[in-house]
Amino acid sequence: MSAASAPVAAAASPRNDLLSWLTTTDHKRIGILYLVASLAYFAVAGALALAIRTQLAHPAGTFVGSHEYAQLFTLHGTGMIFLFVAPFAFGLANFLVPLQIGAPDMAFPRLNATSFWLFLFGGMVVFAGTATAEGGAAAGWTSYAPLSEIPVSSGLGQDLWIVGVLLVSVATILTAINVVTTVFIYRAPGMTMWRLPIFTWEMVATSLLVFMAFPTLAADLLLLFVDRHLGGHAFDPARGGSAILYQHLFWFFGHPEVYVMILPYFGVISEIVPVFSRKPIFGYTGLVLAAFAIAGLSMGVWAHHMFTTGAVNNPFFSFVSFLIAVPTGVKFFNWIGTMWRGSLTFPTPMLFAVGFLLNFLLGGVTGVMVASPPIDFHAHDSYFVVAHMHYVLGGGSLFAIFAALFFWWPKMFGYRLREGLGTWCFWLLFVGFNVTFFPMHFMGIDGMARRVYTYADAGALPLLNLIATAGSYLMLAGVLVFAWNVLLSALRHEPAGDDPWQANSLEWATSSPPPEHNFERLPPIRSERPVFDARHPELPTKR
Amino acid sequence: MTIGLRLFISSAVFAIGIAVAYWLVAHEITGTFLLGFMAFALSFVAGYMIVAEREADLWADRPDAKPADAAGELVGTYSIRSPLPFGTALAMTCIGLGIAISPTLVALGVIALLSLGVGFILQSR
Repeated sequence: MSAASAPVAAAASPRNDLLSWLTTTDHKRIGILYLVASLAYFAVAGALALAIRTQLAHPAGTFVGSHEYAQLFTLHGTGMIFLFVAPFAFGLANFLVPLQIGAPDMAFPRLNATSFWLFLFGGMVVFAGTATAEGGAAAGWTSYAPLSEIPVSSGLGQDLWIVGVLLVSVATILTAINVVTTVFIYRAPGMTMWRLPIFTWEMVATSLLVFMAFPTLAADLLLLFVDRHLGGHAFDPARGGSAILYQHLFWFFGHPEVYVMILPYFGVISEIVPVFSRKPIFGYTGLVLAAFAIAGLSMGVWAHHMFTTGAVNNPFFSFVSFLIAVPTGVKFFNWIGTMWRGSLTFPTPMLFAVGFLLNFLLGGVTGVMVASPPIDFHAHDSYFVVAHMHYVLGGGSLFAIFAALFFWWPKMFGYRLREGLGTWCFWLLFVGFNVTFFPMHFMGIDGMARRVYTYADAGALPLLNLIATAGSYLMLAGVLVFAWNVLLSALRHEPAGDDPWQANSLEWATSSPPPEHNFERLPPIRSERPVFDARHPELPTKR
Repeated sequence: MTIGLRLFISSAVFAIGIAVAYWLVAHEITGTFLLGFMAFALSFVAGYMIVAEREADLWADRPDAKPADAAGELVGTYSIRSPLPFGTALAMTCIGLGIAISPTLVALGVIALLSLGVGFILQSR
């Protein structure tokens, strides 16, 4: 019997009361806390999105007023970007990275717990603004100055937004430090860097991006606060400030943030596709190098969000933006090459992975389009850009998130989510997503501006908006089916076994859920697929 | 040279390259400063790693090492539970809220943070 399939000693039952969760420093529990908290923020931000779509179902909708609408899209964007997509990735990393590299925990367990609580409280502070007299922040998730300056946004809600996002950004930086240190120092014997699972590699690249990008966001927010309350004029050109400094600083963070929100999910897809293709990943080294090429290039494209200001060098930023398509294409080539002539099966995680590929491809193609200044001048601040970013972050990241939930759920909790309900969840989300966001390309081409709460009752806009709203309710149905799946699967609690998918990486070598110290025994690590090697000792090791 | 060190050195070289290219093409000070500072920060980490790596000898970097090879090695001290992280985050949130709302909250947060710092030191002994 191989080491990987050897029975492991039953772990002593850990304490499961509220206090044990509040005081835990176990990376697996912190990972689960991250996932639960980020999914809770997803539910809130998703409800805000439904309110937005309900308002836009008719050209002169009266569901909310203009100020409420501005709060809705501000908190929806903030919730999804700062509190859901990126933190979910760090939750996955918390749970998976030590397991994938054979470590007993993260390098700094108490710092890890501090990061989680900072993230949770930061999100609460952002939303606390809605309880103030003037309401929550309403200057958009980018909070551009002068929109976010006192003359336009005098309310406490904007201050709470600044404080909350600042706390979240500090939490993210601390987590990134933890991830990189853990991977560099705490790998198991034999787990050389070139044997790391792709997800762990992608988290290293993501963490490097966080180091480079998030301090700029923190500086930007501090300057904004100083402008608002301490007499600063950094963003006031009438008093010696710069009209576009805020945008420079914000997008120096903001565009890499897009990759902070997508690189981890490239890793998720790279873990799932080989398992359900019954093949090793095609082009391991190329995938790793492409991740770092994307990360590096993403630091040089920030001002493509500022083409229309007329104050940046459009050819430079356009050229570097086009370049990013090359390593991204390499990744697509690798995923397709992995599936090519594989023994493909399509359980729910693989369905979501394929959905990711299709949606992200469309988001990537429209990304190349708006990287061209002549097209961007037409599409800027229109629904075309709304469609593009949702195809990348919704069609891409969200589908990878569901793929990850279905794939690693058995490892986290010891039982699988139900396949039948998983398939329903996938199709409702896939159809709903495309019905919601595909028409937005045409809305943008027809001239519909983003962030408006009413629009012209002319041409195809009313019909396209009605279709998009119907799609958003289909997505709600998909999410509700997922919630029902979680409830039903928990009640039935059918044990999944330690390695239900016959997977490859080290987390599948331990029990489900893993014991507090992660491993009773480790298999020898001689390739990037140690569990496969242990399962098939008769085969030669690939690397 | 470890892969980690190579990663930081190559990232720093890339950052220097793109900062120079950006300045030559755009002559724009904000972006050049941001890219230049990024290059400095990456170089700083790479420099630290060069110094620290002199003594680095990880089992993980040996391709033929077995899990048993590292048996008995002290890889770190892990506290499974601690109330200090929750308290620290709460204190930092208190300071943040205080900056927006009331100086009293800032004072309370700072006092709590200092007390928790003592707690961290005592717990680490």
